[in-house]
Amino acid sequence: MSEVAYAIANARPRVVAALAVHCRDLDLAEDAFADAAAKCLEQVDPPRSIAAWLMTAAKRKVVDTIRRQRAEARAIEGAAQTTEMADILTLPEPIADERLRLIFICCHPALAIEARVALALKVICGLPVAEIARLFLTSEQTMFQRITRAKRKVRDAGIAFELPARKAWAERLDAVLLTLELAYTAGYQDAGGERDGELSGEVARLAMMVAELLPKEPEALGLAALVLLANARENARVDDDGVMVPLSQQDVTAWDFEAIEQARLWLDLAAQDQRTGPYQVMAAIQLTHVRRAFDRQTDYAVITTLYDALFAMRPGPMVVINRAMALSKVQGAERGLEELESMDAEQLKNARPYYAARAELLTQAGRSAEAASALDMAIKLDPPRAERLFLERKKSALFAED
Amino acid sequence: MQYMMLIHEDETYYAGDDAAQKMEATIAGHMKLIEELSASGLAWSGERLQGNETATTIRYKAGESALHDGPYAETHEELGGFYIVDAPDLDTAIEWARKIPVPGDGAVEVRPVWVEEQ
Repeated sequence: MSEVAYAIANARPRVVAALAVHCRDLDLAEDAFADAAAKCLEQVDPPRSIAAWLMTAAKRKVVDTIRRQRAEARAIEGAAQTTEMADILTLPEPIADERLRLIFICCHPALAIEARVALALKVICGLPVAEIARLFLTSEQTMFQRITRAKRKVRDAGIAFELPARKAWAERLDAVLLTLELAYTAGYQDAGGERDGELSGEVARLAMMVAELLPKEPEALGLAALVLLANARENARVDDDGVMVPLSQQDVTAWDFEAIEQARLWLDLAAQDQRTGPYQVMAAIQLTHVRRAFDRQTDYAVITTLYDALFAMRPGPMVVINRAMALSKVQGAERGLEELESMDAEQLKNARPYYAARAELLTQAGRSAEAASALDMAIKLDPPRAERLFLERKKSALFAED
Repeated sequence: MQYMMLIHEDETYYAGDDAAQKMEATIAGHMKLIEELSASGLAWSGERLQGNETATTIRYKAGESALHDGPYAETHEELGGFYIVDAPDLDTAIEWARKIPVPGDGAVEVRPVWVEEQ
């Protein structure tokens, strides 16, 4: 990517956001930006401030388009062509930071949850529809329809282009964070060791944008820290044979410590506010795991306590499973198994983590035959490749010991 | 923009020994909402419909009509009334729609009214 193209991509979120708020039309904002970007690339001498140049050029495009739409085609033809790009002011005009508004619009709870991140990736990050479709494992046509429908709803249902009133933030911000969390989890699971962390990478960018824009919202900081900590371990999640490596066995030298430090700073900042929440607790759990790089051991007693707190805020099967695993490190495998027994595998929407956890604890307890059948159950439940290899390797290790 | 709020409620909620009290409480909720709407200065209208046993439906099959005794939708949650509120945006409309009392099961559908381009 050329230097100019890179600067254009960087300027995109702010410029498109400002344009969208200016003309109150997502499509028009995107089109005008694309038009301005193409003209910018044609310039012999690249403008000094690319963002300001793009904003001015795109605004003109918006005005032209609206004029063209409104007036008679004949009367307008001439006027539209008088716009010379050379006329564009060289004086940079300040661009108001409207990214937050655009995120609130794209992640509005009135939009279907599966459309929200797709819309955000398209409008804010400028990802092509084909790319977004690939990230969400769906066809380009389906994704195109989903995004088009979402844009139409924003326009026709009158979703506000204003920042919501502060009192409405709790619900709206929750929707934004949940949207990012779900998309991130989807990306992270799909990555499942197959080194396709692109969706999680793009979503992480959005999560960090939200944290930067809302430094006084502890849960926004918590989510950004959580995402950053997961990304920091991206390179250690799979070994050279493509087999998943569990967190407790990862090579810490492959972790990204700059990202870890940033996450720690954000969590500290969040803690000052003394309004805890699930994202902060989840990030704290990950941070405790990461401390292994400094302490050479993991404090599972702390992790168990944090899972207790998380369970109180957001109970769910994954919390029970992870808590049982942590507890087993403190009080033994049998104790962890007891916790798992309380769950009903039949009722778990995704029972694979349950069987994988059971297999691990049964192995530790020396109950090899039961461990093997738990592994079989987990393998049958269609794990991603890296996880399947990991489970299969565990299974052959069981028999090697016999 | 005008938003129509269609109120669908399970009418069986208003059956039983304390039916009158339940209905009274819901109506009081509507009166309160109407007072708030009037005080807000927004243009609005709204009506309560009679029970679904009073409904007559003209059903069409390939353009041919036939009258039927009963409501259109065969669900437990019947259209019981509506409001139309002229709100600046969807969020404001939703904020008002949330104030519509639905003590039992039901749903309030919020839809913008079609605007003819000028």
